Amino acid sequence: MKKNLMVALAMMLVVATGMFAAPTEITFWTSFTPPFSDYLQKMVDTYNQSQASVHAKLVMVPGGSTDVSKLMTAVRGGTGPDVYMLDRFITAERAADGVLTDLTPYIKKADPDMASKFLPFAWSESSFKGKTWSLPFDTDTRALYYRADLLKDAGIDITPLDAKNGPITVDKLKEIAFKYNKTDASGAYTQVGFIPYFAEGWHYTWGFIFGGKFADMKAGKVTPTDPGVVAGFQFLYDYAKALGPQKARTFISTYAPPNNPPQQDPFITGKVAMYITGDWNIASLAQYAPDIKWGVTYLPVPKAGDKPTTWAGGWSFTMPKGAKHPEAAFDFMRWMTGADGQKMYTQLSSHLPTIKALASDNTLFTGEHAFFQQTLSFANNRPALPVGALYWDSLTTAWNSVTDNVATPEEALSKVAPKVQPKLNKFLPLQ
Amino acid sequence: MVMCACFFLPFYQMLITSLKTTEELNAYPPTFWPRVFVWGNYAAAIQYIPFMRFTLNSVILAIGVTIGAVMSNSLIAYGFARIQWAGRDLIFFIAIITIFIPFPVTIVALFDIFAKIGWVNTYFPLIVPAFFGSGMYIFLMRQFLMELPKEISEAARIDGANEAQTFLQIILPLMKPSIAVVAIFAGVACWNDFLTPLLFLNTEELYPLSIGLQFFRSEHNVAYSLLMAASAMVVFPVIVLFLAFQRFFIEGVTVGSVKG
Amino acid sequence: MTRSARRNLRNGLLFISPWIFGFLTLQVYPILYSLRMSFTEYTGFNDMVDVGLQNFTELFKDELFWKSAYNTLYYTALAVPIGVVVAIVLAIAMNQKVKEVSLYRAILYIPSILPVFALSFVWIVFLNPKFGLFNRIGGAIGLPTIDMLGDPAWTKFAIVLMAQLGAGGPALIFLAGLRGVPVEMLESAQIDGAGPVRRFFSITLPLITPVILYDVIMGLAMGLQVFTQAYIITSGSAGSGGSIGGSAGPQDSLLFYVFYLYKCAFQYSQMGYASALAWVLFIVSVVLALIVFKWAKSWVHYESE
Repeated sequence: MKKNLMVALAMMLVVATGMFAAPTEITFWTSFTPPFSDYLQKMVDTYNQSQASVHAKLVMVPGGSTDVSKLMTAVRGGTGPDVYMLDRFITAERAADGVLTDLTPYIKKADPDMASKFLPFAWSESSFKGKTWSLPFDTDTRALYYRADLLKDAGIDITPLDAKNGPITVDKLKEIAFKYNKTDASGAYTQVGFIPYFAEGWHYTWGFIFGGKFADMKAGKVTPTDPGVVAGFQFLYDYAKALGPQKARTFISTYAPPNNPPQQDPFITGKVAMYITGDWNIASLAQYAPDIKWGVTYLPVPKAGDKPTTWAGGWSFTMPKGAKHPEAAFDFMRWMTGADGQKMYTQLSSHLPTIKALASDNTLFTGEHAFFQQTLSFANNRPALPVGALYWDSLTTAWNSVTDNVATPEEALSKVAPKVQPKLNKFLPLQ
Repeated sequence: MVMCACFFLPFYQMLITSLKTTEELNAYPPTFWPRVFVWGNYAAAIQYIPFMRFTLNSVILAIGVTIGAVMSNSLIAYGFARIQWAGRDLIFFIAIITIFIPFPVTIVALFDIFAKIGWVNTYFPLIVPAFFGSGMYIFLMRQFLMELPKEISEAARIDGANEAQTFLQIILPLMKPSIAVVAIFAGVACWNDFLTPLLFLNTEELYPLSIGLQFFRSEHNVAYSLLMAASAMVVFPVIVLFLAFQRFFIEGVTVGSVKG
Repeated sequence: MTRSARRNLRNGLLFISPWIFGFLTLQVYPILYSLRMSFTEYTGFNDMVDVGLQNFTELFKDELFWKSAYNTLYYTALAVPIGVVVAIVLAIAMNQKVKEVSLYRAILYIPSILPVFALSFVWIVFLNPKFGLFNRIGGAIGLPTIDMLGDPAWTKFAIVLMAQLGAGGPALIFLAGLRGVPVEMLESAQIDGAGPVRRFFSITLPLITPVILYDVIMGLAMGLQVFTQAYIITSGSAGSGGSIGGSAGPQDSLLFYVFYLYKCAFQYSQMGYASALAWVLFIVSVVLALIVFKWAKSWVHYESE
C-alpha cells in the first residue's frame, strides 16, 4: 500500500516536472483567415502535442499576400515572429530585401537530403542565389472548368472538353464558347461561354499556354516580349476584340464584380460556361453549388497534339530575421512542411502538397482533385525573381491594356522590361 | 426625405444582405427584401470571431482616444486661437501641414520609436498619440474658437481672470459643439482604423473589431452574410453613441446664441 | 518685448505644449528619417545606399508616377468642391426644425461610419451596370447604362460619389457652425423681408466661412492621400480569384498616388523611392495649402479678428 503510494507520488512528480519544464514558446504569423487558419490551428495543435520541447502559437495577421508592411515594421523593431507564412513566389524578393533568415545551415544540420523530398519547382521557388530561404508548403494548379449541364442544354458537344481526350485547342474552345454567348435587347451580354482573361486567366497563364518564357535566369533578364508570351497576349487581344472589350467588361462588372459573394460566382449562376481557375474551386463548388454538373480539363493548347501545361503557386514557411528561437522555429517549420504536416493540410484543405511522396500518393486524392494532382507533373512556376511583385504588377498593366484593346501585345509588353529590368539588375547574378 | 433615402440605402443594403440565406444571395437580380430572415447569421458572426472580446478592445481604444483627443486638442486650439503670441502663425501652419504627410513612409520610423520604448503589442501606441493633439482637430477647434468674439475674453480679463480661468470657465463651455464633433470624429476614426492596430498589435486577444472584420475574407472567398451582419453590429454602438452625443449640439446652440 | 507679450508667449506655448511634445517625440524623427531615405536606395533592412538625387530624377521618368499623380489631382479637383457643397446641404437638412430631426441626422450620418471595408462591398452592388439601383434609376429616366467601375472614364467618379456617402462627417462640422449662427440675426433679416435663400447667402454663409476653409483644407489632404477605397475595391481585383491584388482598376485608372507609394514601400520594398514620392507629394500639398490659405484671406471672416 505504502509502496504504491510512493510510486504514485513519484509518477506525479515526473508528470509535474514534464509539465513545468516550460517548452520553448514560438510565435507563428499567418495572413490566412478562417477556414484556412482553422486548418493551420489544428496542425499547430497536433505539433504541440507531438513533442514537449516546443510550443507554437498561431497569430492571424490579415493582409495581402505580397504586402510586407506588418512584417517589415515588426522585424525592424525586433518584435517579429519566429515563423512567418509567405506566398512562395515572393521568397526571392523578401530574401533580397534582407527580411528572411537563410535556412541553408539549418537544413544541412537537420536533413541534408531535404531538397530531394520536395517537388523541384517548389524547391526552386524557395531558393535564391543558391541558398534556401523558405520551406515549401502547399501548392495549387490551374485548369479549365466547364459546365457539362449547361453546355449540353445549349446543344454543344462537350466531348472535346473531356480530359480523357486530351487538351482542347484554343480555336476549338473559342468556337464552342461563342455558341454559348447570348445578348439582351440592348446588345449587352447576358451569358458568355468563356472569357479567357477572367478568374485565373492571368498573363502567366496565357504566356505559359503558348510556351512563353518569362525570364532567363542564367542571363538575369526578364523576357516579357518572348514570342510565346506575345502569342499568348495576341490570343487574348483577338479574343477580346471578337467579344467586344467594353461589352465584356460590362458583363464582368454585372455578373462578377470585384468582391462578388462566392454564391454569385458566374460559373455557378451559369453566366459563364467555362473558366480557368484553381483546385481550391472544387471545395467552393461543393459548398455553394452541390447540384450543378461540371467537369474539369487541361488548359487549352495552341495546336492539336501540343503538350498540356499549367502553372503552380502556393505558400511557404519562412523564418524572419531576428527570430528569438531559431532552432525551435526550424523544428516547427520542418514539421509543418514535412510529410506529417502537409498530409494533414492536404486532407483538411484539399490543396495540393509539395512533398514528392505525398504528391504521388493516390490515396490522398479523389475525384477532380486527382485530376489536379496529375497536372503537377507538367506544372510551370513563376520565375523566382527578387522583383516578383513588381514584375507581376507590370505584366498586369500590360495584360489589362491588351484585354481592353487599347494597346497591341507588342506595345504593351515592350513597356514592362524597362520598368522591371533596372530593378532586377541590382541583384545580378541570380544564380 | 429623398436625401435621407439615398443615405439610408447602403446601410439598408447591408442589413438585408446580413439577413439573407445563402440561396437567396444567389438570386438574380438581387432581392430587395429577404424572403426568409436569417437572424442566425448574427449568431454565426459572433461565433466566427471572438466578437465580444474584440468589441471590448475596440471600446477601450475608442474611449482612450476620445478622451485624449478632446483634452489635448481643446487646450492646443485655445493656445493657437485665443492668445496672441510671437511665432504663433508659423507654428500653427507647421501643425496644419503635418496632415499632408503621407503615412506609409513615416509609419516605419514611428514604429521604430515605439519598438525602442517597448510599447509594441500594447495599446499605448494607439492611445498615447491622441493626447498630443492632431493637426486636423486642432485646426477644426481653432476655426470655431476664432468665431467667438474677442470681447468675451477681454471681459473675463477685466474681471481679473487669468488665462487658465478664462479657458476653463468662459471658453470651454462655449466649445461644446466643436468638442462634440472632435469626440465623434476621433472615436469613430479609432473604431474603424485598421492599419495602426494591425501594425502595432501581435496578439489576437488584443485585436479590435476593425481587424476582426478582415477575418471574414479568406484567400478565395468572402463570408458575405456574416461580414454584413458583423458590420451592422460594429456600427450599432456608434449610432447609439451618436444619438446620445447629439444633445451637445442642441446645448451648444442655446449657449452660443447668448453672444448674439 | 512687453510684459504682456512675454506673458502671452509663455501662456501660448504652455497651452500648445502637448502638441510640441508630441511633435518633437513622435513626428520630427519619422519626418527626418523619410527625408534621409529619399536620397537612398533602401529595402527597409539592408544597408542604405546613398544615391543622391537619383530617386527624384527617376520619378519624373516613371510613367506610373505621372499616371497616379494625374488620377489623384483629377479626383481631388472633383471631390473637394462636390464634398463642400454636399456637406453644407446635408448640414442644412440636419438643422431643420422638425420633430424627427434627430432621426434624420442619424440616418444622414450613418454611412460615414460604416466600415469602409463593408461599405465598398455595398457600393459595388449599388453600381452594378444591370442590377444596381444607380443604373436602374438612370435607366428609368432614359439614361444609358454606365459601367461605373468597369469603364476607366468613370471609375474615379464612382469613388468621388462613394466619398460623398461619408459627407455626414463634415456635415456635422457645418451643423455645429450653423448652430453658432445667432438666431436673432436671421429673425431680424426675416422681418426685413429676406427669403430663406437670401438669408442663407447673406448671413449664414459668411458666418460659416471658417468651417468652409477647414473643409477645403481637409478635403485637399484627404483627396491627395485618397487610398483606402481604391485599395479595397480593387484588391478583390475584377476577374481574378488570385491571391495577389491585380490591377488598380481598369487601365490603372484607380492607381492613386498614395496607393502607388504604398505599393512601392511595402510590396516592392523600395523605401527610398517611396520616400521620394512622399516628399514630392508633401511639397505639392503644402504649396496648394498655401494657395488656399492666401486665397481664403479674401473670403474667410473671423469674428475674433
